[in-house]
Amino acid sequence: MSDFKIDRRGFLKALGWTGAGTALAGCDLPTTVTLEEGAEEVVSYRLPKEYAIPGVAVWYATTCTQCAAGCGLHGRVREGRVLKLEGNPESPVNAGRTCMMGQAGLQNHYNPDRITRPMQREGGRLVPISWDDALALLKGKVGKGGEIPAGKTVWFTGQVSGHQAVLIDEHLKRLGGGRHYAYELVSEGVWQKVCEDLLGDPQPTLDFRAARLVVSFGADFLGASPSPVHFAKEFAAFRHQPGDRGVLVVAEPKMTLTGASADLWLSPKPGTEGALALGVAHVLVKRGWNVVDVPAELRRLLDRFDPRTVSEITGVAGHRIQRVAFLLHEKEGAGLVVAGAGLGSHKKAYEAAAAAMLLNILVGNVGKTIKPGTPFPEPALAPRRGTTRALLEFAEDIEAGKVQAAFIYGTNPVFTAPGYLKMKERLASVPFKVVLTQFKDETAMEADLVLPLHSYLEDWGTHVPPVAERPALSIQQQVMKPLYGETRGFGDVLLALLKDLDEGTFGAFPDYYAYLRTAMENAPAEVKGGVSGWDEMLQKGVLLAKAGPAAGLKPKLVAPQVMPEEEEEEAGSRPFHLIPSPRLGMWDGRHANLPWIQEAPDQIAKVVWGSWAELHPHTAKELGVKNGDYVRIESDHGAIETQVYVHNGINKEAVAVPLGQGHEAYGRYAKGRGVNPLRILAPATDEKTGELALYATRVSVRKLDRSEKLIKMGGSETQAGRKLVATISADVYRRTEGEV
Amino acid sequence: MPFSHVRLNRVARDGAARYRRDGGVVRALFLMFALVFAGWAHAELPVPEGIVPPEGEYEGKDVPQPIEFPHDIHAKINKINCMYCHTYARRSKVAGIPPTSKCMGCHKIIATDKPRIQKLTEYWEKGESPRWKKVHDVPDYVHFTHEKHLKRFVFDKGLPVENVDQVCGLCHGDIKQGTVAKKAKPLTMGFCRRCHEANGGPGDCWKCHK
Amino acid sequence: MSLKNILENWSAYRKDAEKGGHHKYEHQWGMAIDLDLCIGCNACSTACYAENNLAWVGPEKFAKNQAMHWMRIERYWDQKDEEYSEQGASFLPMLCQNCHAATCEPVCPVAATYHTPDGLNAQVYNRCIGSRYCSNNCPFRVRYFNFFSYYESAWPAPMHMQLNPDLTVRDKGVMEKCTFCIQRIREAKDKAKMANRPVRDGDVITACAQACPTQAIVFGDTQDPNSRVAKLWKKHQVERGPYTQKKPKTDPEIRGYRIFEELNVDPSIMYLERVREEV
Repeated sequence: MSDFKIDRRGFLKALGWTGAGTALAGCDLPTTVTLEEGAEEVVSYRLPKEYAIPGVAVWYATTCTQCAAGCGLHGRVREGRVLKLEGNPESPVNAGRTCMMGQAGLQNHYNPDRITRPMQREGGRLVPISWDDALALLKGKVGKGGEIPAGKTVWFTGQVSGHQAVLIDEHLKRLGGGRHYAYELVSEGVWQKVCEDLLGDPQPTLDFRAARLVVSFGADFLGASPSPVHFAKEFAAFRHQPGDRGVLVVAEPKMTLTGASADLWLSPKPGTEGALALGVAHVLVKRGWNVVDVPAELRRLLDRFDPRTVSEITGVAGHRIQRVAFLLHEKEGAGLVVAGAGLGSHKKAYEAAAAAMLLNILVGNVGKTIKPGTPFPEPALAPRRGTTRALLEFAEDIEAGKVQAAFIYGTNPVFTAPGYLKMKERLASVPFKVVLTQFKDETAMEADLVLPLHSYLEDWGTHVPPVAERPALSIQQQVMKPLYGETRGFGDVLLALLKDLDEGTFGAFPDYYAYLRTAMENAPAEVKGGVSGWDEMLQKGVLLAKAGPAAGLKPKLVAPQVMPEEEEEEAGSRPFHLIPSPRLGMWDGRHANLPWIQEAPDQIAKVVWGSWAELHPHTAKELGVKNGDYVRIESDHGAIETQVYVHNGINKEAVAVPLGQGHEAYGRYAKGRGVNPLRILAPATDEKTGELALYATRVSVRKLDRSEKLIKMGGSETQAGRKLVATISADVYRRTEGEV
Repeated sequence: MPFSHVRLNRVARDGAARYRRDGGVVRALFLMFALVFAGWAHAELPVPEGIVPPEGEYEGKDVPQPIEFPHDIHAKINKINCMYCHTYARRSKVAGIPPTSKCMGCHKIIATDKPRIQKLTEYWEKGESPRWKKVHDVPDYVHFTHEKHLKRFVFDKGLPVENVDQVCGLCHGDIKQGTVAKKAKPLTMGFCRRCHEANGGPGDCWKCHK
Repeated sequence: MSLKNILENWSAYRKDAEKGGHHKYEHQWGMAIDLDLCIGCNACSTACYAENNLAWVGPEKFAKNQAMHWMRIERYWDQKDEEYSEQGASFLPMLCQNCHAATCEPVCPVAATYHTPDGLNAQVYNRCIGSRYCSNNCPFRVRYFNFFSYYESAWPAPMHMQLNPDLTVRDKGVMEKCTFCIQRIREAKDKAKMANRPVRDGDVITACAQACPTQAIVFGDTQDPNSRVAKLWKKHQVERGPYTQKKPKTDPEIRGYRIFEELNVDPSIMYLERVREEV
């Protein structure tokens, strides 16, 4: 025995380490205690780049693809492994910041459920095959002289842009001109159409910094499409203006991340948002606060939407309607009214969004806070904006026999399509389906051929962000060598397909990297933004382009017919509106396979790893339910059962079930968890645009006998008198911090 | 071990260096702070002026490596500087095992008939690197950075770079004498802390515990 | 650290706190979190998971309050009894406040947690024996105990490749909490030392502050009068030191405050009150 004491610590260690030390030594898991020589290995580099110094991190610029926003990233790499993602300060989208999805991208890349071999359907199952066999199969179907008739091959993708989109176009061109559908469940197809029709520009610039008031009709710009980090950054600037503070009013059926930051949160009955907007317009015109002339037709329409009537229709108090109108008047020229996906009225989403845009025109916001768009100078690279209409058209075209071969990439329609579309069965009728993906999601499970792709951190590409402070081209760079030998880059697969069809044009490029590099080095000056060499492009990660020509905004006053033509059928057996809500994190369900996302509490409900149904306390009382009780939510097209969460940030006539859970495949973290509200949606679309009316499903809610503890974060729902989050009024803020 | 530490400090201040043998039992597995002293300290490597060397010796075990790399041939006979191969010591946390390309830089031509070189060349041609066994290791919760120690003891003191082995030897022993590395110092917390105390290094726990 | 050392140093730290100035310190890391800018998005929390090797625990353990979220976003409903929450929800990013008079430090039986010269509350993992006295004492409930070993469950291959080598992967039986990204502080200090210059404002940024889309979190050296965070503390008239501030605010409604100030723990994080327009 030595002559120094073993204290408690050493004693416990003695017990603990005998097992741990021997068990862990020599494993490839990180050991915790090794003083022992020869227990760990150190493998030297073979021929490193001179900037690769072990122990010192190297940073690579790339682009995030966790949603379609196209934020710029910097990946921190140590000894060839990417460890952390940060925002790229050069990107005009996110200026160095990231959201939770961007941070969780590492788990997408390192996910244990990634597919590592191509697979082919044989006897109803997917069996692994080699790339050679996969490419041979593809050649036989869609190669030169392939089986599939011309024009019958389609690409069905999420929102894509940049050179990947170019190559998709080139591929389709050579196959007889089939269609490229760009589908995103979380999107703003209606708003874009309204902007196009009423302003002459489908993508005007929304200048938050010039605004002192933002009124959002269901646009969750902080938590959902089109660019959450960008708008959060803009929102921060909007909030803390020199000498002033921006005011946010949000009207939506259920509180979203945007609504949680509202100064005034309103909840009109789902589907009546358009009436609310017209009610505000009525007050504006009545008081003479409009700065443009109002044509007679519109005036007649507005007459019918006096505050009392609107209050009855929407459930929003009359004085609130007056107040919003007053704010718009008070901040004339500095107001900004936006409308978004949360405006899914039955069939009148377009009309409601038009009513919201009407407010902008009436108080002269156009040209002040709504400015002409800044299109990307090369339209071929611009984003193919995803819409929900694309899904419906794809479904129709399948039924009409127009689709004999489908390449599916960056989307999971079998999971996100409303149940009534019966996407699984529909796809089964397409003779040849190729799914390019990293995971065995529901759509991959239905494929005839699954091609395993690199993760976005292993791949090359270019992306044009849909929204940014200025037009930009964001470069996606391989941040580390691919983890698996048998995955391929998306661009590389496209190039292989194209080389087969057109060796002359594409044969010169050994791989997609070579194609991109050539394309970028020869890009026009407006795209390059003053950056000369390829190395500099990679270092910066984002090229600041010069905007292409944009027509000025030409505001047009219309008379939106916001009210449904037929009297709404008596609620009767289906009194509630189902709100299948997207949120930052899960998005449309694509990140359910990432444990960090599952474990991140929902921003509003704070529930983790499952589903829930949000109900207003009033409704909960009527139904006799409390937190954790199970309810059955039934539409005419199916039923789901899940636990209740009660809060007063939801309309009394609504029941909100979050999107993202209820996967039947997609890996160990996603599968078999919660419910998918999209299964029970009613076939409702906006009349004008054909976009899915996601919030138009009527349901009944019935208490079940089951009750379990709701797994959520947060010890208490209220501050219980403690000064945790103190709130002061904006007047005080202006007084104490108002000086510039 | 708070109490043993106090005792040892007094030993150092007394100047009467009594090196205790820990009964020959290697405590490394059980007690991370075990200090094992052995025999008299070697005095072959001179200690640069102004440095109080860390105390303690250690009888390291022989760790077989994929190639029995001869430090004696490279560093003693051919007088190649430690930092020629272990380049990263001055710019990183780790000194680094040299990339195989560094070895091949010479051994594409030199001694190509020797079996060890042929084995090395085999690795190089296969596109691999030898999987060396780590000899001087500290637990994963310890943060040790070579570059700061080199700055403090070599570059800030203006020590001529040819003599850098005198500083490396303070913790690694005189590696030039043997072939593959063999642990010659205990590298325990007490070993580090005493040197820090004597030479004015930081004493905050979070400086080194990560 | 000998017992004598600990006792001497502790009385020195305490005396400094009473004197209202921590002038002997190299740095005094602190934060300012603007609750008016915080939108509750969870970017900071997820960034912390990625940076600090935090184990995700799964639903069963989460239900037993065994989650490891060093940085968590609490959400409070302030208008629960009204018809609708018309002023939205209140979000509170809660993390270790690195209190200067921390209630967790004196109660550790083995002195595994102590106050560093940088003003941080340090946790030495391998010294911790898992008594959990510290987490019991923490009024903010920001200390998290590893009830299990999460190596295989949280990082199945190849997810373990994402682990940050700059900090320990904690094993069962060890307490952990936010460290103000000490690994980043250490790296910045090392870099500065190698370049023979002092650490500048902006050299260190915590993972949460770097991710935050609205830049609600500002991190820096409150002792450096030119740093952003020191300027914010000054502007909002919050001082280091115990609750009874030397100088009352010139206007009681100035936005800065610290949580549970009345407990006299002297937190290093200043929160700025959330603002709402009376519409």
